[in-house]
Amino acid sequence: MIRYVLFLILFLLFILEGSVFQIFAPDQFGVPYLFTPRWVFLIIIFAGIFRGRMVGTVYGIIFGVMYDVIYMSVLGVYAFGMGFIAYLLSISIPIFQRNLIIAIITAVLAVITLDYYVYGMMLLLGITTVEHAEFFNVRFLPSLLLNVAFISVFAYPLRKGFYYLRQKQEEEKKL
Amino acid sequence: MQSFFSNKRLIILLVCIIILVALIGYSMNERRTLSWPEQFITDSVGWVQSAFSRPAHLVAGFFENINDLQNLYEENQILKSHLDEYATLQVELNELRRHNEELTNSLDIKESLNRYSIRSALVIHRSPDRWNEFIGINKGAQHGIEVNMAVMTSKGLIGKIQNVSQFTSTVQLLSDQDRSNRISAFVDSDDSIYGFIEGIDDETGNLQFTMINIDAEIEVGQSVVTSGLGGIFPSELLIGEIVSFEADEFGLSQTALVKPTADFNQLDYVLVIERGATSLEPQIDPDIEGVEIEEDELDEEEATNDEGEES
Repeated sequence: MIRYVLFLILFLLFILEGSVFQIFAPDQFGVPYLFTPRWVFLIIIFAGIFRGRMVGTVYGIIFGVMYDVIYMSVLGVYAFGMGFIAYLLSISIPIFQRNLIIAIITAVLAVITLDYYVYGMMLLLGITTVEHAEFFNVRFLPSLLLNVAFISVFAYPLRKGFYYLRQKQEEEKKL
Repeated sequence: MQSFFSNKRLIILLVCIIILVALIGYSMNERRTLSWPEQFITDSVGWVQSAFSRPAHLVAGFFENINDLQNLYEENQILKSHLDEYATLQVELNELRRHNEELTNSLDIKESLNRYSIRSALVIHRSPDRWNEFIGINKGAQHGIEVNMAVMTSKGLIGKIQNVSQFTSTVQLLSDQDRSNRISAFVDSDDSIYGFIEGIDDETGNLQFTMINIDAEIEVGQSVVTSGLGGIFPSELLIGEIVSFEADEFGLSQTALVKPTADFNQLDYVLVIERGATSLEPQIDPDIEGVEIEEDELDEEEATNDEGEES
């Protein structure tokens, strides 16, 4: 049971991002900035750092596929991007685990890479014609702010949760 | 760092990129219907999404109601002043309706482009990254939704059905930047002026109404409605009002900016429109040689039509 908790949390956040957050999103009330939540991806990177590269990559691909199928008109963009970036940045060495600031920076770096990767793909595929200055000011910076705020708040409880998970699994193994 | 990109991993990466390109190519095909794994994922996630959306919409609606309470008095005054006009309008409407009925009956017209049926659906998601202006609704093929049906709110047209799954479907809003996102429309004036609604203008947020005849005389404030000539849309669904217009870059046609009457934000319930008239076939004249229509068939058709109208 305990191993499904991570998946359930990610799935819940996935639903929150697409359904609930969009109803209350600031741009729905006339704010000229777009806030793109990347909460699922932030937690996937944390999972990669604390639970190992394999976990991060697999979750990255699973939720990437869900993003593609449900929200996008082209398939594969998120599945590849989230999987690959999660693979690259799931650096599960003790320094990253012990030092929360480094873990947060890694996760934010992953989100920045993903945002730019997706923007590039959308330009390449002709889905959008938004120019870089507009992308940077209207979409990128506000989203970055939102995501940094999110991960700063939840980084500490997340680490606790992952340590608890590891402890539980070790106990299970001993039994 | 050697473990990062060993030979084996490089090959896996390469294969992944090939799969990515193949998937993109496959999904960029415009005539594609959703494959069953996609339908399975969208439907099962959609079920959870509707469970979450419903209370969220309720909460959002509650706050909106509180907002509305603040300007209740002013609205009431305006409504009262409108109410006087309403009675006269109602009489006129009844008169015109009766007139119209008589005339259509005498002409024996059975199908019309502006007859349609409505299904209402709940908005269950919206793309979080906003590169596509897509929303998801909780009705799908099982409820009779088909690709390309018109979708509107009570205020006006908002888009068309993009993908249909069994229990959910995706709506492409008029504001989507996709090149294939165009809708045949005309200006509601004395002589109809036809054109296409094509995407959104980035700076102003208004819809672009293109391919208007260069000689056409358009005015600011005229309303733009669907023409019903594009195939599946019924005619005379309100899209918006003309804000400005100019000759296009080659001087061969005009382009107008249309302010949509519907709000693309804060969508909760939307209406999916199915056109009543199934095809654009002209009335077959029984006098033409080679075409024979039996009396019985005609009577049957009339009977079914009458039933349809009554229900």
